[in-house]
Amino acid sequence: MIRQFTLISMVLATTVSAQWLNYPTPGIPRLPDGKPNLAAPAPKAADGKPDLSGVWTINYRPYSSNIANDLKPGDVQPWTEALTKQRQQNLGKDDPSTVGCLPFGPRVNFAAVTAPLKIVQTPTLIVILSEDLTYRQIFLDGRDLPADPNPDFMGYSIGHWEGDTLVVATAGYNDRTWLDYAGHPHTESLRTIEQFHRRDFGHLEIAETFEDPKAYAHPWTVKVTGDLMRDSDLLEYVCNENEKDSAHLVGKASDVRSVEVAPEILARYAGAYAGTRGGRPTRFEVYASGRELLFSRDGSARQPLTPVSKTKFVTFSGVQLEFVEENGEIVALQYYGAGFGGPLPRVREGR
Amino acid sequence: MVQRGSLKLLCGLAFIASCVSGQWLNYPTPGIPRLPDGKPNLAAPVPKAADGKPDLSGVWRIALGPYTLNTTNDLKPGDVQPWAEALAEQRRENLGKDSPAAHCLPFGPLFTFDPINPQKIVQTPNLIVILGEQLMYRQIFLDGRSLPADPNPDFMGYSVGHWEGDTLVVTTAGYNDRTWLGRGYPNTESLRTVERFHRGDFGHLEIAETFDDPGAYTRPWTVKVTGNLMPDSDLLEYVCNENNKDLPHLIGKASDLKGVEVAPEILAKYAGVYAGTLPSGLVVRFEIFPSGSELWASLNGGAKRLLTALSNTKFVLPQLEFLEENGEIVALQYSDVGANARLPRVRENR
Repeated sequence: MIRQFTLISMVLATTVSAQWLNYPTPGIPRLPDGKPNLAAPAPKAADGKPDLSGVWTINYRPYSSNIANDLKPGDVQPWTEALTKQRQQNLGKDDPSTVGCLPFGPRVNFAAVTAPLKIVQTPTLIVILSEDLTYRQIFLDGRDLPADPNPDFMGYSIGHWEGDTLVVATAGYNDRTWLDYAGHPHTESLRTIEQFHRRDFGHLEIAETFEDPKAYAHPWTVKVTGDLMRDSDLLEYVCNENEKDSAHLVGKASDVRSVEVAPEILARYAGAYAGTRGGRPTRFEVYASGRELLFSRDGSARQPLTPVSKTKFVTFSGVQLEFVEENGEIVALQYYGAGFGGPLPRVREGR
Repeated sequence: MVQRGSLKLLCGLAFIASCVSGQWLNYPTPGIPRLPDGKPNLAAPVPKAADGKPDLSGVWRIALGPYTLNTTNDLKPGDVQPWAEALAEQRRENLGKDSPAAHCLPFGPLFTFDPINPQKIVQTPNLIVILGEQLMYRQIFLDGRSLPADPNPDFMGYSVGHWEGDTLVVTTAGYNDRTWLGRGYPNTESLRTVERFHRGDFGHLEIAETFDDPGAYTRPWTVKVTGNLMPDSDLLEYVCNENNKDLPHLIGKASDLKGVEVAPEILAKYAGVYAGTLPSGLVVRFEIFPSGSELWASLNGGAKRLLTALSNTKFVLPQLEFLEENGEIVALQYSDVGANARLPRVRENR
């Protein structure tokens, strides 16, 4: 998984090869000191509508890990809850998108692999491109949603403008994708409504409503923001090129539970660990609770960690975490994720 | 593997329910000039974009021909460097099982030469995006930027374009070396392509693409294909990874197959032309040429290829079987990945 931040953070020779990513985006309003003025008004397209075009980095947390983060237990139908738990038990090895290299479908706005997104806007058609070479089309030519669409990964999308907000309705998803890394399923009845609003030059607000009466008790809405990625572009990422995850994703969560770690050891790990992951700031909070260790990433719901050894743990999605000790103190959390690995130093708060 | 054509076939042959699911492909394309009978006027003048340039936007299907996923058709032995020729031979010996297509990888520089999956051009003044039915795309920057000096090699390359009169000229560099140019012929990271897109009239797009790869070939060469507008239709998502069942079947070597000898008098009976339509809607025409104890085939006017006999009636590659009825050869059964059709013999000059 070659991503932009790895290129930039590596040796100079590698950085040079990515120099084309630094091509200045034309038309960016600038402050007197030459810096981009991201608070400038949103630009208009030739037809007078807000122009959403640009490369957008989506702040997808915590919904990338858990699309149901804001839902209560009764909001999720029992079979949905059970299937999600089962997928977590399997440590995410059946994830059709990250492991199976299939398109992210309705998850595209919230997945790390597909971010950033590039919006290409014309009066009658908007195309949204992802770094994994997939795309979706949104028809703005006044057509209706088909009565019985052929189910596919990206669904069938139509959009219209309500004031300065682009409203996109999508139906016709197949049921082969997950809605998040946790494994929340959906059925072919899923419909989504997205509201795209470019608040100012540098910021895009996305509110997406998920409605799937066969899997969830009621519709719910997830809100994320996108930051304009300036002077840059998408960097091709082809999952099939180097798919090495599936061979390593073996076993079940219940198999690895053979290790028990003493509560007094777990207690030492409690605290906050923060650093940069995937070029973005991230923060893990770790909570010890008796014989259990839980974590929360960037404010998401707490998830259990399964101990593999006294210092190593795996998350429900198969990501490995290791607590690093130096001179008798826990100083960092080492994160082993596809393309995202790195140490997160412990935050010394209130000391 | 739901292909456009097989869906259409289902509509024709099977229940109405299957047909309805594809109805959205029939949404009328706005702005198409029509003849008095309501049919699209594909000979109408080329539409103009808001900036006055020819508008290449639309869904295009490349005509099947000798360059179908094979840009090397016209190359002669001296045009290919020895290492590249040897590698192509080895790949053919392995019956193409290492091909990027078998592994669901992007076609890269062959993207334009895929007649099975239509392509949709989305044109804006500064950027053209070409969407492929396989849920992959390429970008062409028209904002005046130069090609990067040292691009990060990837499948689709880095493309810049400009207008020369009514022709869009697109230069691409930064391809990786993991794609094939056809029949196993490789390219290196030195490959550069120059494409010239010219919309001749409303319904036709001419594409001339020049391949220049001094790392593998001794000279640049140019391949010309035509795209036909698909009015009132759109792309139908096709995801290779969804159902890739090819790989386990791609085994064996070409040389393993060379066991069967067929008598020249049997081969002579197969001479002629076999034509028909594949489930995908493509029209194919095989010409069969016996030559002593050898049998050669040419697809849609392409170069003659030597066939390998598996039995008196079955040959590869592609898989062809001659069908006999009442002592006469009446058809050719054609089987390929995603394509299977009975091609009746053409009774020419009779």
